[in-house]
Amino acid sequence: MNAREAILGRLRGGADPATLDVEATRLLDRPERPVVDVADLVGGFLAQLAQARLGATFERIGAMADLPGAAQRYLAAQGLASALYLPPDPNLAALDWSGLAISHDCAPDQPAALAIARVGVAETGSLVLETAPQAPMLPNFLCLHHIVLLRAEAIVPHLEDAVLSGSQPRAHYWITGVSGTTDIEGQYVRGAHGPRFLHVVLVG
Amino acid sequence: MSFIDRAAAALADPVLKTAVERTAGTAEANRAVAVEAFPDFAAARARAAAIKDHVIANLGEYLERFEANAVAAGARVHWAGTADEACAIVVDICRAAGAKTVARSKSMLGEEIGLPHALAEAGIERIETDLAEHIIQLADEPPSHIVWPAMHKTRDQVSALFRRHHASPHEDESIAAMAESARRHLRERMLGADIGISGANFLVADTGAVCTVTNEGNAELSLVPPRVHIVTAGIEKLVPSMGHAVHMLRMLARSATGAALTQYTTFYSGPKRADDADGPEEMHIVLVDNGRTAMREEGLAEMLRCIRCGACMNHCVVFRQIGGHAYGGTYPGPMGAVLTPALSGLAANRDLPQACTLNGKCQEVCPVAIPLPTLLRGWRERSWREGLEPVTTRWGVRVWACLAKRPRLYRFATSAAILGMRLWGGGGWSRSLPLAGGWTRHRDMPAPEAASFMAQYARGRRR
Repeated sequence: MNAREAILGRLRGGADPATLDVEATRLLDRPERPVVDVADLVGGFLAQLAQARLGATFERIGAMADLPGAAQRYLAAQGLASALYLPPDPNLAALDWSGLAISHDCAPDQPAALAIARVGVAETGSLVLETAPQAPMLPNFLCLHHIVLLRAEAIVPHLEDAVLSGSQPRAHYWITGVSGTTDIEGQYVRGAHGPRFLHVVLVG
Repeated sequence: MSFIDRAAAALADPVLKTAVERTAGTAEANRAVAVEAFPDFAAARARAAAIKDHVIANLGEYLERFEANAVAAGARVHWAGTADEACAIVVDICRAAGAKTVARSKSMLGEEIGLPHALAEAGIERIETDLAEHIIQLADEPPSHIVWPAMHKTRDQVSALFRRHHASPHEDESIAAMAESARRHLRERMLGADIGISGANFLVADTGAVCTVTNEGNAELSLVPPRVHIVTAGIEKLVPSMGHAVHMLRMLARSATGAALTQYTTFYSGPKRADDADGPEEMHIVLVDNGRTAMREEGLAEMLRCIRCGACMNHCVVFRQIGGHAYGGTYPGPMGAVLTPALSGLAANRDLPQACTLNGKCQEVCPVAIPLPTLLRGWRERSWREGLEPVTTRWGVRVWACLAKRPRLYRFATSAAILGMRLWGGGGWSRSLPLAGGWTRHRDMPAPEAASFMAQYARGRRR
């Protein structure tokens, strides 16, 4: 007998599949969770983002066309060179990036990289990103400064609202603040392996 | 070395208690703030326990659903009955891929099945990428906590390790500089690894996704670049759907660190898609039993609720005194004292369930309401039934039981003992006492101040 059959053989005797699904759904009925003001999702999201634990900054812009300018302002304020990694996203390629040295190859010690979030979560200040042909995952963990574009209308109240139904991307990941560690003497240090700085550019 | 010897050595270590107290104390305080701020944490906790109980009761069905969906997403699913089988599967995948190096993202299950050892035996270089795991890999020590594996190390010890092993170590002695040194040292190694190995915090049945949580981002850095991603996960890690995963994540982060959510929460569904920009070409998921089906059958099903947050040990008065290594197993603290006898046998671990005051704090803070004191008492009873208790204990209890069943004799014996103790100690403290060497080896025994309660009570009634 192989291991699969041996394990499943010892686990027989649960509910029938239909009862199981009813029970599983009932277990999610009115979950306890932090209260979110649905009338002010942007305000709620930004309040979470500003928490010391998340350590993120943001700028709000009116239109996508302002994104290159916002990126440039952030890099200048941080004293960084005007250089940025951009993922191969057509929405970004359509913008005017003159004045910035743009690369499409992310270096292992990339100073700054930009990404587009599908959704923001007001409950936790999380950014939801997904892998796709135009959205590699690695640059978002290699860079020291992570600039993330988020549309204001893409902010949802709770984590449950960020979940995709149906077919899933290869990976989806929720970013809540910057990389950090408390592994040495419990002292918090930013930028353990991933980004040390997170800057959200909110559009709209 | 026995548990008692290890605990004695830990108690005599002048640095250990400070180190454990610092990290566990901070975790305790942060959890309290997060729980206080959460609307109705008690109800959320009952729901989390109910979700896990539902999964454990229907584990076979959920495992099959998970397998079907993971395979549909392009992953390969393997099943392992024992730790050795699991390690053999991982090593075979590594060999088939011609791998020389693996980057590993912290997984307690990997420690449980002895994966570091199995990889070493197979001649495969292992790069631990979690900062704490990196520290203890350099020190060649096992983890001492399931969330902060290097909590027993001081900054001076870490500094010395990094100076010895890092090519360009930190210039100043700040913790930030040390973390930066590890970042430099590990980054190129992670990016060059042939295989990435992780555990799973949750397996989502209805999507076939594997969820990992980290605060450092080391999982993502070590799992995206290599050509192969291997997941080793205990079969109890299932949740029915993403909605259930969300509820469990809220409980996990708050109970472990007091955060609303871990910094990086990632769901992996299969290998890189044809047109994806990055990701591994192969994804393997090894589902490991290693005693879990037996625990389910033998009255330890509640222990399978555990989501490895570490709150029980952070709040345990015993753990806070002796740290994690004294427990001698992969899992320390209250949850370890329940799990280790199940994983490695009661005979060799009968001291662990005894190392508990039954104050109930662990159960109180457990996000899935595991009745840890009850389970520990269960092990004590079983140890007695199986005759594992030492002869002195067995006879001592028998003599006591014999007296306790005969009230007159019992009262006579206690009065005699009180008189004896007073005479022996000359009315003060005794430095040694017959039959009480275990007590007087470490502290003096006070002489009884008055007669027994029953004697005083009888006198009071006569008045």
